[in-house]
Amino acid sequence: MATAGGPSVRAHGDATVALELKGITKRFPGVTANDGIDLDVKRGEVHALLGENGAGKSTLMNIVFGLVAPDSGEIIVGGKRVTPHGPQEAAALGIGMVHQHFMLVPDMDVIENVALTSTRWPRMLKRENLRSELDALATAFGLGVSSKALVETLSVGERQRVEILKLLYRGAQLIILDEPSAALTPTEWQSLTAFLRTMTAEGKAVVLITHKLDEIMDVADRCTVLRDGRVVTTLDVATTDKATLARTMVGRDVSLRGSRAAAQVGDVVLEVEDVTLDEGGRRLLDGVSLQVRSGEVVGIAGVSGNGQNELVDVIVGLSRAATGRVTIDGREYSDLLTRGFTAAGGALVPESRHSEGVALDLSIWENLVAKELTRFTRHGVVDMAAARRHAVELSAMFDIRSPSVETGVKKLSGGNQQKVVLARELSRDPRLVIMFQPTLGLDAGAIEGVYRRINEQKLKGAAVLLISYELDEILSLTDRFAVMFGGRLGPMMTSENADVERVGLLMGGGR
Amino acid sequence: MELALSLAVVVCALGIAMIFVVVSGVPPAAGAGAFIDGAFGSQLNLAGTLSKMVPLTLVALAWIIAERAGRFHVGFPGQILVGGLFVSVVALKISGPSFVHLPLALLVGAAGGAVYAALAALLWAKRGVNEILSTLLLNLIALQLLAWWVRYPFHDPATPLALTPAFPESVRWPSLLRDTTLHWDVVLIPLAVVAVAYTLNRTVFGFRAKIVGSNLRFAEHAGISPQRVGTAALVLSGALAGIAGTSLVLAGNVPAMSEDFGSAYGFTGIAVALLARNSPIAVVPSALLFAALQQGAGVMEGTVGLSSSLSGLIQGLMIIFVLASTTVLHMWRRRRDSRRDVAANEPEGARAR
Repeated sequence: MATAGGPSVRAHGDATVALELKGITKRFPGVTANDGIDLDVKRGEVHALLGENGAGKSTLMNIVFGLVAPDSGEIIVGGKRVTPHGPQEAAALGIGMVHQHFMLVPDMDVIENVALTSTRWPRMLKRENLRSELDALATAFGLGVSSKALVETLSVGERQRVEILKLLYRGAQLIILDEPSAALTPTEWQSLTAFLRTMTAEGKAVVLITHKLDEIMDVADRCTVLRDGRVVTTLDVATTDKATLARTMVGRDVSLRGSRAAAQVGDVVLEVEDVTLDEGGRRLLDGVSLQVRSGEVVGIAGVSGNGQNELVDVIVGLSRAATGRVTIDGREYSDLLTRGFTAAGGALVPESRHSEGVALDLSIWENLVAKELTRFTRHGVVDMAAARRHAVELSAMFDIRSPSVETGVKKLSGGNQQKVVLARELSRDPRLVIMFQPTLGLDAGAIEGVYRRINEQKLKGAAVLLISYELDEILSLTDRFAVMFGGRLGPMMTSENADVERVGLLMGGGR
Repeated sequence: MELALSLAVVVCALGIAMIFVVVSGVPPAAGAGAFIDGAFGSQLNLAGTLSKMVPLTLVALAWIIAERAGRFHVGFPGQILVGGLFVSVVALKISGPSFVHLPLALLVGAAGGAVYAALAALLWAKRGVNEILSTLLLNLIALQLLAWWVRYPFHDPATPLALTPAFPESVRWPSLLRDTTLHWDVVLIPLAVVAVAYTLNRTVFGFRAKIVGSNLRFAEHAGISPQRVGTAALVLSGALAGIAGTSLVLAGNVPAMSEDFGSAYGFTGIAVALLARNSPIAVVPSALLFAALQQGAGVMEGTVGLSSSLSGLIQGLMIIFVLASTTVLHMWRRRRDSRRDVAANEPEGARAR
């Protein structure tokens, strides 16, 4: 079995260690993503990397994979210190990574996709040679993918296996999988675990980035838990359990980032009843039910990718649930896109500022009135003066710092851009405010501003739904919350003095 | 910045053209002189230039409307032809006094272009078919459709040529300057420019189009349907191209309609819009330039023997330079912004979509 780029793993040093990280530190403006991380991955083991959003898992693996250079620390492969400067060099070292978003060309077949990654010289490869090599590899590892198949005809699980095949073809000895089960059905996941066991039996090492406790217990040999950029501990999976893992992942003194305002709780404003949504054989939302009353802040915690986006899209009107219903003030609403939701008194501060919250090419005032154009329109003509005046008022009210309302939104800082979104949404005096990761990428002052707005709305009698991947945020600001995992919403819990260990368990998929 | 770039584009293109002039053995001064004379030198020539401005302006405006909503298509030639086809029906099957006949023809011509554009629009809105591909192919269909139209159902039996019977005077644009090609349809230039500028900058539709063209997801979140707005923009675009078709047919040299009375304007108009950097007002000088190029080159061939394809060369160069400068400007801006963007970066929190 010829492979490209000889892995140095078997060569020298401690032959049992495939990868060793010593003191890896990486800082980005405003945040230390990795802080002195020590880690070792042995040959023939599946090593899980567990942590919440923002714990530093992806950054660490990007460093190993050569996409990011660490500020300090050492990467040691096969006993030798290395500095991979990109995926090609990492591949030459025998390190491969399967990302959450696959990098395959749909209308080419498997052979061609693998050939694209080849660095052999000459570049012209004989199809037949490649095909037999790939078939041999696939059989050896039980991949069950026909090399002649067109990628677009393959299921998600099969495509993932093609990605892995690409890595094996290049002789990878250490394979990193980033949240591999995110797009898989349970059956596909079983196939993947079987395959992982075959790989480790051959002496390869696997790093599994995940937040799902079941998976770790299922397939991992050891697990390193990351929290806030630091290694908390490395455990032998055989000697631990989900509860311990959860506690380690999450357990800490909750740093209160803001406080809960005391308001009078009134009637139910938002009611989500048994909403289900399927796509491509996967259940994205599984019987989600939720109630938010006026004057309260309800939170949805959990790691990203567990159905939060889908739930918001359904509530807001951009998606249709397969079953169940959503009402505001007892009435269903449906109209073009988000119009029904907005007309019913709903407001949304979306997860992604740049792609959903604002139109970067447009000015502040255009962004501010975008949802209320009809209010400023008469006989099809927009009263620009009135719209601008309104924008000036909102800018003052929400403290948007810019030379004028004509300034392009793309020139504003993240905090100011978020103020534009808040101004647009909250100035309508909404009945229901959904805040989805409202403080992402903001500095401390801006974050405080957002928290103030949340409490302000609460005191005004609005119903607030806060969806966040930051557990601290949920615990400090909400009155009650539930954890979302795998499209299901867990039990509602009171935020004050919440059992953080239990929360961790729920976030990892336990009960 | 934009203006400077456009001027630079023109200068560069003309400069390169001069090289070809010299290489052809024609003294540059004579070549340039013949060209300018051909475009503006006499009443007849000036009339030629101005009358060519009409379809160029209309097509450029049609491009701009669609572009504002983020929809790029190349269906103008087909829409011009179908516009003319619709007009031929009104011209030859209906009669009436001029003040009814002509406006009716205009409306119907616009409708023809609009309907033809709607085909591509619906294919895109309902099935996600790329409008560049669909309109490109629809152009070919329109060419064949017209070829058949002027040879069979609407053929003038009195001639072996592929022509319709002559259109009655009542439907044609009155002549603005006797014995020239200049007709009253030139008033369409200021009218259309103002109408399009107003629509795009002042109306609700214009705003929605701008939002959709800027960020589709954002538009959906704002309750604006990209499909509805995009379709409307494409249909309006087709209507303008249809009006360009009516001009070509009702204000042309020949009172009858031939199988291809000017679909080429459908592509040149795009270049006009690009040089004008998609600004409705700037379309006027840009259209003037392109019209002068076409007019001048034709005359120049006769006087100094320079091939009239020189104008095509210049047009092509201008298109390349405009696109190159736009791309370079865009890349430069991106690099400048990303250096500034470090503070506003959005770190982890990946969406597992």
